[in-house]
Amino acid sequence: MSKLPHIVHLVDDTTPGGVMRVLDHIYGSPLMAQAAHHEIRAVPRNKGIASVQADMIVSHLSVSWRRLPALVSLRARHAHLPMVHVEHSYTEAFTALNVPSKLRFFTLLRNAYALFDTVVAVSHAQGDWLTARRLAQPQALRVIPSAVDLRSFRALPAPRPGGRTIGAIGRLDRQKGFDVLVRAVTEIRDAALRLEIFGTGPEEETLRALAKGDDRITFHGHAMSPEEAMRAVDLVAMPSRWEAYGLVALEARAAGRRLVVADVDGLRDSAGPEARFVRGHGIASWSNALTLALRSGAEGGDAARATGAATEFAAAWNNLIAERLGPSAPGLRAAG
Amino acid sequence: MSYASIVVPAFNAAATLPETLRSLSAQSFGDFEIIVVDDGSTDATAAIAEAHAKTDRRVRLVRQHNRGLAGARNTGIAHARGALIGFCDSDDRWMPDKLDAHVLHLATAPHVGLSYAGSAFIDETGRRTGHAMRPRLSHVGTAHVFKRNPVGNGSVPVFRREALEAISWRPASETKRDWVFDETFRQSEDIECWLRFALTTDWSMEGVPGLLTEYRINSGGLSARTDAQLAAWERMVTKLRPTDPAFFARHESAARAYQLRYLARRAVSSGDGETACALVSRAFAESRAPLREEPMRSLTTIAAARLCARYGDAPMRFARNVLSAVRS
Repeated sequence: MSKLPHIVHLVDDTTPGGVMRVLDHIYGSPLMAQAAHHEIRAVPRNKGIASVQADMIVSHLSVSWRRLPALVSLRARHAHLPMVHVEHSYTEAFTALNVPSKLRFFTLLRNAYALFDTVVAVSHAQGDWLTARRLAQPQALRVIPSAVDLRSFRALPAPRPGGRTIGAIGRLDRQKGFDVLVRAVTEIRDAALRLEIFGTGPEEETLRALAKGDDRITFHGHAMSPEEAMRAVDLVAMPSRWEAYGLVALEARAAGRRLVVADVDGLRDSAGPEARFVRGHGIASWSNALTLALRSGAEGGDAARATGAATEFAAAWNNLIAERLGPSAPGLRAAG
Repeated sequence: MSYASIVVPAFNAAATLPETLRSLSAQSFGDFEIIVVDDGSTDATAAIAEAHAKTDRRVRLVRQHNRGLAGARNTGIAHARGALIGFCDSDDRWMPDKLDAHVLHLATAPHVGLSYAGSAFIDETGRRTGHAMRPRLSHVGTAHVFKRNPVGNGSVPVFRREALEAISWRPASETKRDWVFDETFRQSEDIECWLRFALTTDWSMEGVPGLLTEYRINSGGLSARTDAQLAAWERMVTKLRPTDPAFFARHESAARAYQLRYLARRAVSSGDGETACALVSRAFAESRAPLREEPMRSLTTIAAARLCARYGDAPMRFARNVLSAVRS
């Protein structure tokens, strides 16, 4: 066992969510354990980062101007160690909606990414964006779509034929665009329609106010588990305003649930070819898309149930590790 | 293949199209094509474009049934082959160095997807009125686009092709080609496009110095159109608000006040003082942001509206004469 390379994953956002679920998966995946010993280490958000004893460092940190000196220092103290950065946050649509000075932001990303030997995009759409904007050097860029263990989702009962329950699963945050979904649902005249909202967050009050008077819409708060939320719905809607990957879409595919998603960023990967894509966040477009998706019956889910996602994820990471550390890597432990 | 394409939407434009085309053919940067889209004209528009194509091989004519300004521009875009795509309406003119300035700008600023410049206003006879639009050229965020529309009019922007592709889509009702401009709009289709561009793409907008477009102002009959203009602007807000409700909650009132102030100024220009006064009061009741952010311009709008209501267009005529005397 001790022959395996030791890989330390640094993370500063440990709130429950996509990043932590992927990290839990990395930690728990038997396929990935065959190639390396993975350790997850939480670091404080706006302080220095302690030195690391490892064969390779993988950053899942959020990049910001404030964070940049700590990243420079980390690189300097581990000059001979392969360092990889996984970009979980930033995308084209994120930049459009959140960045006042785009040129300054791109300068930040170029400088931060240049500190790493490899930059990992979590979706092909994000990778294309990093390339088009010349944020990462093409030879340093790898695309590894995120994944989690999907077996429990595949084991869920199939959606009910003719079922008309739409699910909104995720943090109630501006990013997820559930305000668009609630408005769109209130526009649809269909007494049998249901919208089940799983999650909590800063937008909860706004969403409850929007849904007021429509008793087809229910707020469940945090679901016991992602699987339980998925079990309760026939169709999953994701009107996200930006999304680096979009794990819920992958889980919906594994559960055989149909998908109606925003045509942005990583959802173009995670939602798969069977999903119904909606351009923009116009209420009428969303009402129409949902109506059409519900009408299409239980078909239209991913027949392949997203098979291979976790295996491909593990293989891609194992390849990257082998590529960076070389075949003789085990035992070649550099000092921190 | 040409490096740039200039799309000229033309509907019953026989009176002005010749000078538009002459100004385009005279561009100092020569590697471009001109696509005239005859949008179902019933006059000599098509014949004029064809005649011009005989003297300038870079001109191509595309004809279609009337689809409106947005529809004509979209057709032009679909036929454009250049790496850059610019627009010039068939009653406006480009200054000789306009294309050159945008080509240089876009070549040296890879993050910029839309390059613009200022406009000088011309009257029906093609003479400069002395008024101009001198927009902010850099540090242009989405809020500034919403409030101040630095691009100004549809004869200004030159886009990078990829940037236009980033905002193009195919509505379910459309069978032939993509939309970039929203053809359901008959007014405000410009600002709707620029604002959607700012809200949904990561491309920057920047300007280059100079008044590089000559933009024709038609005086008559503005008051009747004020309500329709406002309604179209509100429709744009309703359409785009779901894109980012937080952004609209923060900037919508100020932007509406600027829009009302703009219409008040137009009303003053056409000598309609009463409408101008009503619009000014509505503007500052909506938000004080224009007073705070642009006090001089806001105060002159108030003064001009009051003077115009009291004395008709005499004060404006006087001001114009003084201005043109000073400038000549």
